[in-house]
Amino acid sequence: MDTKELKALIEDVLSEMNIGEDAASEDTKAAEAEKTSANTADDEAAISDECLEDITKIDVKKQYLVENPVDAEGFMELKQFAPCRIGIGKAGARYKTLPQLMFRAAHSAAQDAVFSDVDQDFVDSLGLFTVQTRCRSKDEYLTRPDLGRRLSEEAVKTIKEKCEMNPQVQIFVSDGLSSAAVAANTEDVLSGLMQGLKAQGVRVGTPFFVKYGRVGAMDEVSELLNADVTCVLIGERPGLITATSMSAYMAYKGTIGMPESNRTVVSNIHSAGTIPAEAGAHLAEVIKIMLDKKISGTELKL
Amino acid sequence: MKEIINSVGIDIGTSTTQLIFSKLTIENMATSYTVPRISIVNTEVVYRSNIYFTPLDSSSNIDSENVKAIVNKEYKLANMRPEDLQTGAVIITGETARKDNADEVLSSLSDMAGDFVVATAGPDLESLLSARGAGTDFISDEDRCTVANIDIGGGTSNIAVFSKGTAVGTSCLDIGGRLIKVKGGKITYIYKKTSELAAAHGINLKIGDRADESVLRKLADIFAKQLAMALGLLPKDQYHKGLYTNDGSPISEDIKIDGITFSGGVADMIYNPSGENVFRYEDIGPILGEAINDCSYFSGVKRYDAAETIRATVVGAGTHTTEVSGSTIKYEENCLPIKNIPVVKMSEEDEQDLKSFSKKMSDKMEIFTNTDAYDCVAVAISGNFHTTFRAVQEMGKAIVDGLEGYNKLGFPIVVICENDIGKVLGNTLKVMAGLDKKIICIDNIFVKDGDFVDIGEPVANGRVVPVVTKTLIFNR
Amino acid sequence: MILKTQLFGHNYEFKSIREVMAKANEQKSGDTLAGIGAESAEERIAAKHVLSNLTLNDLRNSPAVPYEEDNVTRIIQDDVNETIFREHKNKTVAEFREWLLDTQTDGEMIKRASRGITSEIVSAVAKLMSNLDLVYGAKKIEITAHCNTTIGKRGTFSSRLQPNNTVDDPKGILASTMEGFSLGCGDAVLGLNPVDDTVESVATILKQFDEFRDKWEIPTQTCVLAHVSTQIEAAKKMNAPIDLVFQSIAGSQKGNEGFGITPEMIEEAREYALREGKARGPNVMYFETGQGSELSSEAHNGWDQLTMEARCYGFAKRYSPFLVNTVVGFIGPEYLYDSKQVTRAGLEDHFMGKLTGISMGCDACYTNHMKTDQNDIENLATLLVAAGCNYIMGVPEGDDCMLMYQCTGYHEAAALREVFGLRPIAEFDRWLEKMGFSENGKLTPLAGDGSVFLRK
Repeated sequence: MDTKELKALIEDVLSEMNIGEDAASEDTKAAEAEKTSANTADDEAAISDECLEDITKIDVKKQYLVENPVDAEGFMELKQFAPCRIGIGKAGARYKTLPQLMFRAAHSAAQDAVFSDVDQDFVDSLGLFTVQTRCRSKDEYLTRPDLGRRLSEEAVKTIKEKCEMNPQVQIFVSDGLSSAAVAANTEDVLSGLMQGLKAQGVRVGTPFFVKYGRVGAMDEVSELLNADVTCVLIGERPGLITATSMSAYMAYKGTIGMPESNRTVVSNIHSAGTIPAEAGAHLAEVIKIMLDKKISGTELKL
Repeated sequence: MKEIINSVGIDIGTSTTQLIFSKLTIENMATSYTVPRISIVNTEVVYRSNIYFTPLDSSSNIDSENVKAIVNKEYKLANMRPEDLQTGAVIITGETARKDNADEVLSSLSDMAGDFVVATAGPDLESLLSARGAGTDFISDEDRCTVANIDIGGGTSNIAVFSKGTAVGTSCLDIGGRLIKVKGGKITYIYKKTSELAAAHGINLKIGDRADESVLRKLADIFAKQLAMALGLLPKDQYHKGLYTNDGSPISEDIKIDGITFSGGVADMIYNPSGENVFRYEDIGPILGEAINDCSYFSGVKRYDAAETIRATVVGAGTHTTEVSGSTIKYEENCLPIKNIPVVKMSEEDEQDLKSFSKKMSDKMEIFTNTDAYDCVAVAISGNFHTTFRAVQEMGKAIVDGLEGYNKLGFPIVVICENDIGKVLGNTLKVMAGLDKKIICIDNIFVKDGDFVDIGEPVANGRVVPVVTKTLIFNR
Repeated sequence: MILKTQLFGHNYEFKSIREVMAKANEQKSGDTLAGIGAESAEERIAAKHVLSNLTLNDLRNSPAVPYEEDNVTRIIQDDVNETIFREHKNKTVAEFREWLLDTQTDGEMIKRASRGITSEIVSAVAKLMSNLDLVYGAKKIEITAHCNTTIGKRGTFSSRLQPNNTVDDPKGILASTMEGFSLGCGDAVLGLNPVDDTVESVATILKQFDEFRDKWEIPTQTCVLAHVSTQIEAAKKMNAPIDLVFQSIAGSQKGNEGFGITPEMIEEAREYALREGKARGPNVMYFETGQGSELSSEAHNGWDQLTMEARCYGFAKRYSPFLVNTVVGFIGPEYLYDSKQVTRAGLEDHFMGKLTGISMGCDACYTNHMKTDQNDIENLATLLVAAGCNYIMGVPEGDDCMLMYQCTGYHEAAALREVFGLRPIAEFDRWLEKMGFSENGKLTPLAGDGSVFLRK
């Protein structure tokens, strides 16, 4: 975020904060609630049509729950530079309920992103065919990184059948540690990337999807298809800020067993990080530079 | 990976002409495994010129030949050549900023200015630049308070107020050290407004009168009090309104000032009063300085030292006019730099209604494409409403449709976005407008309708371009 | 030395102490990944049985990496007090376990024994301990250390204030720091994991920490957890004030080489901190470890992750650290799969650290690809306090935005102190009272308001 955006945000927050007013309105709410409960006392089972607020929409940066603070404004200004859960008050020496639920909600999204599979219909709708690594299950995927780096025999066969050989660039998508990242970003990143490569006249191979894949699987793909540059778009390990962050790993003439330092990575691709479509456009340029300079990884200075 | 950009600031003011060279350090602030984020991380003034009286001809116009000679001389002293510079600004301020005169000066400097920027400053921009040069923004940020800078020059006092680092208001008054000039013990010049203000307070001043220190001090006391009124330190009287330059507006009444800095030529006489002859500069600057120093209305707020005094404006011009674009952008070889291009800013409402966007855009562009004065015109959008790939295609289509008339002229397509979509939108425009069309599409730059921008040659290994936005109206 | 046994009439025969040790381990996905773990629950118990009958002498003679090949082994072996070792060498692991648990054996006796054993012995006895054994045994051992204040005293429980920030922003770090202190966090150390491991950046944060601590007269120590050489360079070149010097360490020479360190570098850093540092001392080092790190750098020499972890503590002990903590769930499910494994590992590591004789804390944590959640980590923290753990971590609501993992939050130390009737380090406790954040060991309503530090 640049300074200007930040300033605007702080102004926003401060105008919304107005703690005195909030406290007052809480009182009114409480009073109203009492009234309501009195009115409906004889009909306790009445179910309202109202819906509670989606707590995952609450902007942590704007949240401030400390009671009777010395300098709320000063703290909120500093908080804008700390993307963490501060200014959350307490209940005794424990957490207030709302931040606790927000935390659990964020973690639930992270867990679901890791432990669920990418929707096969979604993959099909992108026109990608699907192959699998040597992992047979999510559990095996999580505990056996070695198997997630290698393609199954069937995968090798399918890729050989369906893919163009010797492309300048081979792109594939993989679930990695976040199926949610694949669902959220693939269309934008892939389209932005393809457009950028085509505009530069780069020959791109047939893209596909690898289930239960680790980054290292790209080396086998690279060898298999004899691609100049191989690029995998893969779900990152979710954090609590976002469960949908994607990374792109790229290597020039990758081989099984090459040093990790041969890979170039662009991470933090998601709607609140690097905008996925823009990231795709950036990746196209990075790949073009790799093709021109015939290197990748730490030696490649962008 | 740090890189240095050399910048020049030239300030041609009512009374003085100055020049500084500075080094702007840019650095990629992102980790090596994310998309780069290149920012200006440090600015350092490396050369300060002598301070010259602005050479004027008989009709009080700037003597452009002599200005050029001064600039030439200082380049040599600083061992700088125009080709060493990547960015900068020439600011023509105060009374000298009249359009016809300014244009002449700028054209005479164009070979010195090379590929960098030229701008005439409105009083608002001048106020901002001098306050930034004085470090007022930094002080207000550090101390988490509201600080005003008054840049008191020869003809005007430029005020800018910063609250916690953010500019919250500017204004400009016709109060200055050279509104009365003195020679050989006699008054040789009185600015008309000044003589009226003095008369209204029972002080009669005429050209040719003996320069009486005690009488002029009375006028200076009135000036000081009026400046305090401008900051809201006492209620405004009936004379106050008339003192604003070009009938400009005062600082909002809602702003409460905690502290103050002074810059401009008179500032040195406030911070460092000297017992020397008060008419040593043949004007009333030293008397005004003393008057402000003694004015009790200023004692209620904290007085901070300014980082720069007489050089505040030129330092501001040399170090605070350049921004860098976002780090994922689209441009073509040999298209840059482009200078002084007008900005057509589309509103956020327009962006959200792409059906009518193209028509509105081409209508707005016609104002500029119908004259010969400008080649390129830049289209500016927020980019906040079209971030998915599909939506960017729609946005791109709308822009290309709106460019139909403009494209016939053969100039590059220039698009400026706020949101980080510059590269994908640029690629999209390239595909849609035809591969032979030159595209410049940058982001992370905030401009307003009516601004002019200069886009410099790429730096940081081609990742970013320096951008100077000339906002002539500070509208807050 | 007997390496054979029967269970339910089935024969179990192990080829080496290494195999016995690996298979006697409680189940860990990392041992399975290494291909050395027990293949069945019964085999695990058979291995434990064989292990229980080995003597301490057998174990001393079987270091995980040969003496000649590995400087960590040399440090561990050379630091053994031979007289004390002779007193225990003929005990079986079972007997040594029972001696440790015996009510007649007090903490001072155990601390004396610590000087006569190797890390392989520490690991072996931990393998025979149940979770409650690990709590019960560790609780006896009071290990204190002094930097600016004394950590580990009976009746106290401390926490590290970890104000990590995604871009090392000074304002953001300040905001987190203020809130942490206001909740009674940070008596162990104010310590940041930097994003930018450059000398300039590390120096800047060290100076910021030092100024804040001095301005508010906070009785604690500060640290920026960069590579050891970066910290020393920051001190030498940028005049950065140093209290504690940090380094991640491993249980073998090869593992340490992976971290870019040698024993000489650590010793030099320690001497520098003692000579030029700001703290009173004498304990000026801070180490972090974690089960599985040797396997991930292929530096485990075929040994199990528990033993390699124990060797980290043997190595650490040489440098009289003020703090050592295992970052127990950070490494991921391929090493510690779920909450059960993390809980076990946390208790083991704490016990082993204490038995080694170092001031042991624990970063009870997990990543999002493990089958664990915040409840599990709160359970572990509670068990650790029961076991007498010196300190845990404190990050805002347990969510570290920079390292992208979850651990214990700012509120946890205060809550656990209240539950167990413990206090922060005495000087820090008095400071909290002076600031109005606590009263008689309980947080006041003012606690949690970081903006107290903005008062002009």
